[in-house]
Amino acid sequence: MSIYKLYYFNNRGRGEVCRLIFAAAGQIYEDIRYEDDQWLLHKDKILLGQMPVLEYNDIKLPQSRAIARFLAKQFQLAGKNDIEQAKVDAVVDTIEDLIEKLIPVFDEQNDVKREELSKKFFNEELPKHLQNLDVLLKVFGNGGSFFVGNHLTWADLYFYNFFETILGINENCLNNYPSLKQNRQEVEKQPKIAEYLQNRPKTSI
Amino acid sequence: MSIYKLFYFNLRARAEISRLIFAAAGQKFQDVRYERNEWLSHKNEMPLGQVPVLEFNGTKLPQSLSIARFLAKQFQLAGRDNFEQAKVDAVIDTINDAMMIFMPIRRQEDEMKKKELMKKFFADQLPKHLKNLETLGKLYGDGGPFFVGNHLTWADLYFYDILETLLYANENCLNNYAWLKQNRVEVEKQPKVAEYLKNRPKSTM
Repeated sequence: MSIYKLYYFNNRGRGEVCRLIFAAAGQIYEDIRYEDDQWLLHKDKILLGQMPVLEYNDIKLPQSRAIARFLAKQFQLAGKNDIEQAKVDAVVDTIEDLIEKLIPVFDEQNDVKREELSKKFFNEELPKHLQNLDVLLKVFGNGGSFFVGNHLTWADLYFYNFFETILGINENCLNNYPSLKQNRQEVEKQPKIAEYLQNRPKTSI
Repeated sequence: MSIYKLFYFNLRARAEISRLIFAAAGQKFQDVRYERNEWLSHKNEMPLGQVPVLEFNGTKLPQSLSIARFLAKQFQLAGRDNFEQAKVDAVIDTINDAMMIFMPIRRQEDEMKKKELMKKFFADQLPKHLKNLETLGKLYGDGGPFFVGNHLTWADLYFYDILETLLYANENCLNNYAWLKQNRVEVEKQPKVAEYLKNRPKSTM
């Protein structure tokens, strides 16, 4: 029986970075995926009524980034010391700032309004945050392709996963950012990740 | 000359958690506070053109929670092992979820709309997060008044600071949450924190 159990929906969303960390580490875990109707049956029993949740040695942990950071630390993918870990966290927070700008676009029910918000996202918010991420990669990356310290960390996996969603909507959005494009290519080339990407369920979000 | 330099506006807002961590640790630091008119001339000195930024041993680190987590780890206020740190992070993220709803409401310019949204926030949205925080405190707190492991961590300091802001907007918002109220009382009783609270610049946000 696995000491790690991950509960999430059957899509990438806020669970996939954890799955990528397990894959990069070559760590076995129980990957519990709920379809929407199953979720309704379990929602009242799960900690805080939300997912993802990690169960580790029978203790439950909520909050996707808290889970991901814990797993990354367990498997040496969080950064080699406190300041490196802080740089990794800062990259993740900068990506998260962008994710938070996209959520209202997805949530908007009115088609006309959603189109307007989507335009604003792609024309204003996205370039601003890509510029910021480019700066961080250059300042923290020690001249390599990864965001921090010239080695793979969960910051690279976080970026990889979110941009899979964005590129699915607009496949050209990284064209002006060769370093960021290269970063994603380096992630895909990692053997354990390449294998995981080939075999995992395909979902658009 | 201090090895820690914190750059922010002359407000609590996104830097106060770091100031509280320094205070609880009894650690000296340079508390650089920019007034609004000064900020424009310094914006380009910061990696992402935003504050707070921590300067530590020549590295400039952005992102308020990454900064705070780094400082907490430096001063043994982050949690005693990877999993305890994860519990602390989960509490932080749950507090932050509530703040992410509150902040756009506070910025709302239409007074009527703002009043309506504030009412909904305090009646529906905040109670859900406060209930979740009590759940986490009781699950992780080992029977004590602090959120995790029966000792002060930056999760308690963050809760203290965010609720200060919310209590300015609605002084009754913690009335139904005895455990959370007591948690703030315990934070205020810590001698170094008490002294800092007495002497610091006052701000409502």
